[in-house]
Parts: sequence; structure tokens; C-alpha cells
Amino acid sequence: MDIRKLLTKDRVVFDLKGETKGEIIENLIDILIEDNIIKDKNMFKEAVFKREKEFSTGIGNGVGIPHGKSEAVSEAAIAFGISKDGVDFDSMDGKLTHLIFLIAVPEKSDDIHLKALSYISRRLMHNEVRQALMEAKTYDDIIEAF
Amino acid sequence: MKIVAVTSCPTGIAHTYMAAEALQMAAKEMNVEIKVETHGSIGVENEITSEEINKAHAVIIAADTKIDKTKFEGLPIVEGTVQDAIKNSKGLIERAMKLKKEEKEYVEKISEIKEEKQNKKKGPYHHLMTGVSYMIPFVVAGGILIAISFAFGIHAAENEGTLPWALSFIGGGAAFALMIPILSGFIAYSIADRPGLVPGMIGGMLSAQIGAGFLGGLVAGFLAGYTIILLRKWIKLPKTMEGLMPVLVLPLLSSLIVGLLMLYIIGKPAAAINNGLSNWLENLQEGSAIVLGLVIGLMMAFDMGGPVNKAAYAFGVSTIAAGQSSSVMAAVMAAGMVPPLGIGIATLIAKNKFTKEEREAGKASLVLGISFITEGAIPFAAADPLRVIPSLMAGSAITGALTMLFKVKLAVPHGGIFVLPIPNAVEGLLPYIISIAIGSVVTAFLVATLKKPKVE
Repeated sequence: MDIRKLLTKDRVVFDLKGETKGEIIENLIDILIEDNIIKDKNMFKEAVFKREKEFSTGIGNGVGIPHGKSEAVSEAAIAFGISKDGVDFDSMDGKLTHLIFLIAVPEKSDDIHLKALSYISRRLMHNEVRQALMEAKTYDDIIEAF
Repeated sequence: MKIVAVTSCPTGIAHTYMAAEALQMAAKEMNVEIKVETHGSIGVENEITSEEINKAHAVIIAADTKIDKTKFEGLPIVEGTVQDAIKNSKGLIERAMKLKKEEKEYVEKISEIKEEKQNKKKGPYHHLMTGVSYMIPFVVAGGILIAISFAFGIHAAENEGTLPWALSFIGGGAAFALMIPILSGFIAYSIADRPGLVPGMIGGMLSAQIGAGFLGGLVAGFLAGYTIILLRKWIKLPKTMEGLMPVLVLPLLSSLIVGLLMLYIIGKPAAAINNGLSNWLENLQEGSAIVLGLVIGLMMAFDMGGPVNKAAYAFGVSTIAAGQSSSVMAAVMAAGMVPPLGIGIATLIAKNKFTKEEREAGKASLVLGISFITEGAIPFAAADPLRVIPSLMAGSAITGALTMLFKVKLAVPHGGIFVLPIPNAVEGLLPYIISIAIGSVVTAFLVATLKKPKVE
């Protein structure tokens, strides 16, 4: 599975706005709504925040991966934004979060999508991948980082 | 050193895999071999096999969901959340490395060896052993009940309605009557699964009724199992009627075939051989009886619970199947007790020839010995087969020959020292104990002499 299909060019923001975790997540959700991925905003938002309540998806090292599994999602997708100033994401290491991936998964999803998501999650644990993402200027830079 | 790990988070989309990756990265850095099983929304990936569990030093479970830990039984477990694994994977691995794998208890090891032996072999021998293993508890329960009835006096069971009569009826009339059908039934079950049970048990029952005994029962079991396999291959019913196969077609046809073969073809020769064997045993001259005891002893100690040992044991059981005491059974049990007893004594008299662990194991071996669990000697035999096995065989052979010489008879098929106090269970209790003791001492002496001292 090509990451390009999950994370299309339209779903990337190089200057993600938002002062709080809530705003950041909301802005990323809006991207997916425009892309016709999410049919019911409130329903999906609820799924994401419910997940966030269990424990924060700010996994440290500047990365956040809020995600939700919901009927409101038509197909698996990722929206990615870089917050230049960083945002408090209740992350595990207490540092500000800059790289935020919003992952949307429908209730019933292909293994191909899930495999791609698991691949991305694994790659994010590597320092050089995060470094490359922080320095990314173009969509291709991001894809290459993985 | 190898570690296995499981990661799992509630949604199973991201953290499961991040935790897995973090563990793998940390392990790589620390030069630890690791395998991480992930339970995500894709399902279980990279599944840990039982072989890997056996080789692993410890298991890390980094999960926010419930993970079934039964498959890791026996391994030390470090538990944490997926966050722990992402944040501090090194810490988890360090903790896992520090844990010590518990050494299994000696008795546990023995039961594992027994299980492995049973599971390893397939084919006719495996089927036979399945049948025998289902039969033995019937023989043991029945045999001991009969022995208890003897305790009231050897003819006490003849008065109907009395307790000794009841015991003898339960043991001989019911438990022993089921013995051969169970043997045949479960041989067939092992070959052909559930459908094998019906023709197997019916064939076994017929064998018992026409006097074809054990031998006929064995034949019936194999016959029944393979008959079912052939019937299943040959008969093809339309889909709508397939449900009739297990309840009607297979049981009816297989019972008919096995039953007729037993009555008209196999029964008579098998009964003749059976009778011939018991006559031969009854009229055995003293000299040949001693040789028989010797051979039984050699067989019992040769592979300690393996096929040769079991063959001798099954022969012993078949001689008491009719409910009478038998000298063969006496030789079998005595010779089977000698190897672990002898080894146990050796660890006491020649401390310098054994490691500390072996001396500990020697005590357990003594307990297994008095319980007639020959397998108790296996770890010692496996460690030094060329010196130990001949010593065991020599001791058991002497014991087998002695019980025959003293004409000791045994009415029970199992139980070791614990059945000896039952009055009339053994004819010739004192010579019996002496025979076992002499063989054990011989084994102990040989082992102690032949083994090289351990440098500790």
C-alpha cells in the first residue's frame, strides 16, 4: 500500500494553526471533511477524543497521533500537519508537539490500510524519520521521509 | 538471550505497532534478540510459537487490553502498558533480562517427558498407547478394588451381598469387564476419531465375551479404526444426507463388519493364542519362569516408559485381566520400581558422583520409585546413558528373576508400595520387598561404581 493514497497531497498542512490540542485536532478533522472522508464531524470527533481520554496520543519526541475508528469515516485516511510553534499535547515526555498525524479509520477497514498505518506508526519511532519530517518543505519530502 | 513480547492497545491502529517498534529498536541497541507479537486491528501478527516460548528467557507484555497469558506459562513475565514500551522500552527489557527463568520441578519434568513420548509417536504404536493409556485407570481401579476384597479373605467375595462380594463385583464384574472394550475403543478412536469408538468398543466387547482377551481386543481396535477410515473414503452421500454418516451409516456398517469378522474369523485363533499363553504361563517350569522374570526386568529398565517397557507392562496387565493374581505382573511392577529407586540410593551413597541438582533430583526419584513410575530414572539415564542404563537393566533383571524364583504373585496392576499393605494383594509380601530391595541395591552399587566423579 502506497502511503500516498492514505496521505494525499491535499491532506498535508505545512503550517498547522491552533493553540491547543483541541484546536489542532479540529483543524485536521476539517481537512478530512473537505476531502469527503468524514461524513459526520461530531461523531468522528467524539471517537477521537474518547481515545484521547484513555491516554494522550502525544507519544513524545514532538509527535502526536490522534486517531479514531468510526462509522463516520468512509475510508482510511491520514491528515498531517506541522505546527511550527509546537503545541501542548499532554505528551508523555512533557515536550511540545510539532508533528501531528490524524488517523481516521472506518469501522470496517481493509487490512491493506491497517498495514500501512502500522508501518507509519513504526517508522515514527525512528529519530531520523522525525527529523526528516520536521525539515520537510514539500509533499515529496514527507513521503520520502517514510 | 532471547526475549518475546506482546503489544496491544485498545484501537490497535498505532500504539500497538509503535510499542513493538520501540521494543525492537531498544533490543537491537542492547544486543538482545527479541520477537514482538502485535495484537492490532489487523489481528495477531508475528505470532510467537511455542518453540520460541520454550527458548525464551522472559516475556514482556506491553498492553492496555487483556492478553491471554496462558501460552506463556512458566516464563517470567514483565508487564507494562504500551506507553511504558514506547517511553521506556529499554527499562522493560532490562527488567525482563534480570528475571530468572524458574527451574522446573523434577516431578514436572518427568511428566513432561512422559507427555512428549506420547505425543511424538504417530502410527500404530501411538494408537496402541492411546488405547492402553485409557485402559490403565480402569485396570488400576478394578485391580485395587478386587485386592481390597481379597483383604477380607481370599474366598470372602463368594458370599453374595457382602461388602467383599460388592468390591469384587465392581472391580471384576464392571471395571475389568470394561477394560478390553475401552482398549479397543480408544485404539480405534486414536485412528479414526469419534466414529472409531463404536465399532472399537463393540469389537472389544465381543473379544472379551468369546475369550479372545487382550489379543483379540487389540486386533478389534485396529480393525475398527481402519474400517471407519475406509468407509469414510468409499461412501459418498449427497450433501443433504451427510448428517446421517456419523449417527447411522458409519456406526451401523462398521459395527457389522467388525463384529462379523471378530466372530467368524479373528475370534477363534485369537482365543486359542490367548488360552495357550495363559496355559503356558501357568505351567511355566521354575527355570523358564526365572528367565521370563529376567527378560521382563531387562525390558522394564531398557527404555523406562518407552515402547519396550510398555510392551512388558501390557503383557503383565493382560495376565491379571481375568482377575487372578499373576507372577508376571509381580515381576513387572517390581522391575519397574527398581530403576528410580536404585538411582535414588546411588545419589545417597556416592555423593561425589552427582551434581547438587542431581542429588536433589535423587530424592524425588526415590518417591517416583516407590510409586512405580519408572520414568523417574530418565533424566539420569539421559545424562549418562552408557553407564546408567546397563546398571538399571542389571538391577531390574535381578529383581524380576527373584520375584519369579520366590513365586510372588500380584493382583494389582499399579500402585507401587502403596498397594502392598493391602492384605492378599501380594502373595509373598516379604520376598517381594526383598527382591525389590536387592535389585535396587545392585543398581545403586553399579551406578555408583561406574559413574565418574563430578568435579564441582
